[in-house]
Amino acid sequence: METNLQILVDKNETFITAIKKNEGLIYKIAGIYTNDIEDRNDLVQEIIYQLWKSFDSFSQNSSLSTWMYRVAMNVAIYHLKITRRKVLTVPMEEKFLDFHETDNSNIEEKLQAFRQHLNNLNLLDKGIVILYLENKSYEEISEIVGISISNVGTKLSRIKEKLKTQISKKL
Amino acid sequence: MELDDLKNTWEDVNNQVKTQQNLTTKMINQMTQTKYYSSLKKIAYPEIIGAIICFIGAAFIATNFSKLDTTFLKCAGIISILLLLTLPVISLISLRQFNMPGDVNKPHAETLKKFAIQKIRFHKFQRINITLSYILLVTIIILFSKLFGRNSISDSKYFWTFSFSLGYIFLLFFSKWVSKNYNNALRQAEELLKELES
Repeated sequence: METNLQILVDKNETFITAIKKNEGLIYKIAGIYTNDIEDRNDLVQEIIYQLWKSFDSFSQNSSLSTWMYRVAMNVAIYHLKITRRKVLTVPMEEKFLDFHETDNSNIEEKLQAFRQHLNNLNLLDKGIVILYLENKSYEEISEIVGISISNVGTKLSRIKEKLKTQISKKL
Repeated sequence: MELDDLKNTWEDVNNQVKTQQNLTTKMINQMTQTKYYSSLKKIAYPEIIGAIICFIGAAFIATNFSKLDTTFLKCAGIISILLLLTLPVISLISLRQFNMPGDVNKPHAETLKKFAIQKIRFHKFQRINITLSYILLVTIIILFSKLFGRNSISDSKYFWTFSFSLGYIFLLFFSKWVSKNYNNALRQAEELLKELES
């Protein structure tokens, strides 16, 4: 019979493997919903903490990445309000992922461009676009967002129109 | 740039992010421990400092209440104390509207709906706070002249003319600023809620 400690160790190992496998997902969501590196690192910490907290309630009905997208996006919208208030967070001891200090500094520019395009969309549309860009199927988007598959299609068509209008206005 | 163009650029971001797998086991462990999730995040320092100042102000007026010798000044004193006690409470209540929901596993649309409702409540509370703050500003001006000055400012023939005309101008610009900022945010939240409920 497994001891409680062993169960905890196993859970921890499973969680760490899951995070490592999907860390790109977390960084991308954090990058879209925040405007600077400090905020992004705070959000990454918070997403990982919330994933850990709710790891027990993760049901195998949905895939791990579907669950992670859902939690990450839910945490991100609340983080928006919290970080605007400039309250304290605990700094990381180790150097955290910093796009500026890598040879891929243009990621930051690209994320900036994305934010500019997506900022005029409401939070629901923004979430749908992110999942679309992540090559999620309409079914997966429907599962993560919690709207019907047909509604996903309708919304994406409207979003495309909105983005076209935005560009034509700028031109 | 259209959505499909965005998708191509997003692919570049994807490829670059893939090359940056930086999270170590130690870092993940640190993040899952509560010490890396500051409970201070839930505490809004500006509100707490503001609340302390308001309570000190209310205590000061209460201890000097005997100096307020006319009914008018007493009324201003009572209103000020009530507002100084009420404003921080409203502020803290409105902040609590934005607490992270307990269940972050819920579908995104459901969380967004909750978020939009909280946002609408928050902005309504902020509006009330701003209106009450203006009233407090007026009563404090009246009290300060009595408590710190030699004579009651309200006895001056210039006081009412200047204070209210300047106050009106201030209110006009301030309310325009409030309308611009809060009404936009409120409208966006209401539109989002409408869309989610449709």
